[in-house]
Amino acid sequence: MMEEKEGAEEQQRFSYRQRLKAAVHYTVGCLCEEVASDKEVQFSKQTIAAISEVTFRQCENFARDLEMFARHAKRSTINTEDVKLLARRSNSLLKYITERNEDIAQFNLERKAKKKKKLEDENKNSVEPAEAGAVESED
Amino acid sequence: MADSYSLDCEPTTRTLLRRVLDTADPLTPRRPRSARTSAQRALLETPSSKKLRSQTKMTARRRSHKARSIDRLAHIQADGHLEEQTPRTLLKNILLTAPESSIVLPESVVKPVPAPQVVQTSRRESSRGSLELQLPEVEPSTTLAPGLLAPGRRKQRLRLSVFQQGMDQGLPLSQEPYGNADASSITSSLNLTFATPLQPQSVKRPGLARRPPTRRAVDVGTFLQDIQDTSLALAPPGDSLRTPVTTLPTDTVLEDTQPFSQPLLGRSPSVQHSLPCPSHSGAKDVERAVGHRTWSSGPRLQNSGPGKPAQLMAGKVEEVGALALGFPNTSSNISGEDGVEPLQNGVGEEAEGRMKEGLSMRGVEEATGAQGSARAEEPEEHTEVTEAEGSQGAIEAKEPEGSSGDEDTPGRTASPELASSTPEFLRARRLQFPEPAPPPSTAVYTDDYSAEHPEVGWVGLTEITLTSEPPETLSARLPPRTRIPGPRPRQDPYKTGLNHYAKLFSFYAKMPMEKKSLEMVEKCLDKYFQHLCDDLEVFAAHAGRKTVRPEDLELLMRRQGLVTDQVSLHVLVERHLPLEYRQLLIPCAFSGNSVFPAQ
Repeated sequence: MMEEKEGAEEQQRFSYRQRLKAAVHYTVGCLCEEVASDKEVQFSKQTIAAISEVTFRQCENFARDLEMFARHAKRSTINTEDVKLLARRSNSLLKYITERNEDIAQFNLERKAKKKKKLEDENKNSVEPAEAGAVESED
Repeated sequence: MADSYSLDCEPTTRTLLRRVLDTADPLTPRRPRSARTSAQRALLETPSSKKLRSQTKMTARRRSHKARSIDRLAHIQADGHLEEQTPRTLLKNILLTAPESSIVLPESVVKPVPAPQVVQTSRRESSRGSLELQLPEVEPSTTLAPGLLAPGRRKQRLRLSVFQQGMDQGLPLSQEPYGNADASSITSSLNLTFATPLQPQSVKRPGLARRPPTRRAVDVGTFLQDIQDTSLALAPPGDSLRTPVTTLPTDTVLEDTQPFSQPLLGRSPSVQHSLPCPSHSGAKDVERAVGHRTWSSGPRLQNSGPGKPAQLMAGKVEEVGALALGFPNTSSNISGEDGVEPLQNGVGEEAEGRMKEGLSMRGVEEATGAQGSARAEEPEEHTEVTEAEGSQGAIEAKEPEGSSGDEDTPGRTASPELASSTPEFLRARRLQFPEPAPPPSTAVYTDDYSAEHPEVGWVGLTEITLTSEPPETLSARLPPRTRIPGPRPRQDPYKTGLNHYAKLFSFYAKMPMEKKSLEMVEKCLDKYFQHLCDDLEVFAAHAGRKTVRPEDLELLMRRQGLVTDQVSLHVLVERHLPLEYRQLLIPCAFSGNSVFPAQ
């Protein structure tokens, strides 16, 4: 029974992997088409398959590395720092990621500021149930 | 022997053995003789105890032979009829011959008065001596705990006495000398156990103090030859200029077990940091990663400056030679001369020739070395360097580098840093520089770095054109490098270490290798180690630390695939490292509720 269960699980995981791989393959195909139209070069099917396979394996590696980095920093959550550490090899990629990180951080700050403002406004109204409702809605 | 007994609060090996010899002797009245012999031995031991440190096996054997002969004479005279070779006499002889430098004391010096105390202390001191003395005599006692702190001889004596005691009196072993090392009963060759870190010579490498010094000399010579032959200049990270300065003896330093620099030891003495040194040298390595080329220049400076031991100089000369090809520099002046001329003669002579400049050079070296290894950022260093360089500028004639090294471009990038670090220096030598040579200390910026900072390359070019206008940015960047004095010693041994590994490579290839291929191997090793140290630094920073610790190394090895969920770091340590490193790295519980290394 246990073996059957595990076998079924294996099957499930395997099919899950296949679906993921198919999704990656599709996305790689789309990107390659874009590049092909841009640079006016052709991509053979084998190339796209190879690229998607490599991408999939790299994603696995990335996930393992990210987990290791987070554990190395004694955290249980993967952070943007971990991502930056992962991308440090390629300078342009690192720069890009850092910029995006800053954008997101700024966006978060703005959102926080907005929320605080909203909260203050509602406090000024000073209707307790309204406040509770507002707080809940904000949350 | 009431005195000896009363004083033996803790049973030392000698006292135990003495007890055995005394108490179990039904035949002859050995007590008076043993007292005399003990006193004699004590006296003999005291002067020799100091000399026991860091003795090689051969010297130990020689000494032991001499000691033995002398002791035997004394003993025979004392005892008279000790001709028969009984185990007791043999043991007594062993005890007597323990202090190897017994030749110093003639028999007449024997004074029975301070015997008991002297015996105690002298035994302690002498026990610290090299184990090798005991080797020829005490064969049966092979199992000895690693003598990190405990004196080797003492352990051996204890074993003997234990052997006796176990049969006679069943006295417990005295635990205190063992301290850390006792628990792990490391029975491997006696040679290993006695490479104690306490030995002054082996400060850098406790476990490997035994390596014969001659090996280094040969390597240096060959290396110099290789440098001469090859036009490719290697760009080892220019960190450890300091090492040649600080490490006088050639032997211990570099080659031994470079990859396993011990975390406990001070890093500066550790010769070879070319290989990953996760512990304290890690930070410096990281710095070094940036300035991989600087160390080459560093050693050059060093070479010319202080009269370092030949090996150190050799390493530096190599550095110089390597850099000289590509990067003439003020230091390169020195190095150029070194590289070109003394390569065959030997660095030592060069160094001596430059002794006068040694002091200034030292300052320069340190400055440059630090820069090289750690992207010198401190302006003080620069001034130091500049001053030193300025003083030497007039003295040294800049010699154009013979062959343009392959690393002209990287050298150029490095030289700008140097230039920035020592603007005045450069100006002083402007006329003398045929090419911009990377300053010994300037960190050698990796290609990535130069790519990122095109101004560096541009500066290099300007340098080449003899317009010594160091970029301000570089000077701003360089000061931090000079801040760290530690990396300097790595410059020289690093290069030597690479050579060492290249030779290992050629050995394992089992077929003749071209010099060019060896150079390529060294280049690859250089890049590999730089990358490695970069990673280590980043990992340490990621964990919010400034020191590289074994955890960082474990993460690195995990990424490399060496450490897996099935194979842990300790397993690898056990498999591949020599025994001394194992005892340094893997925590082990010792007696007295102590764990070493501490966690």
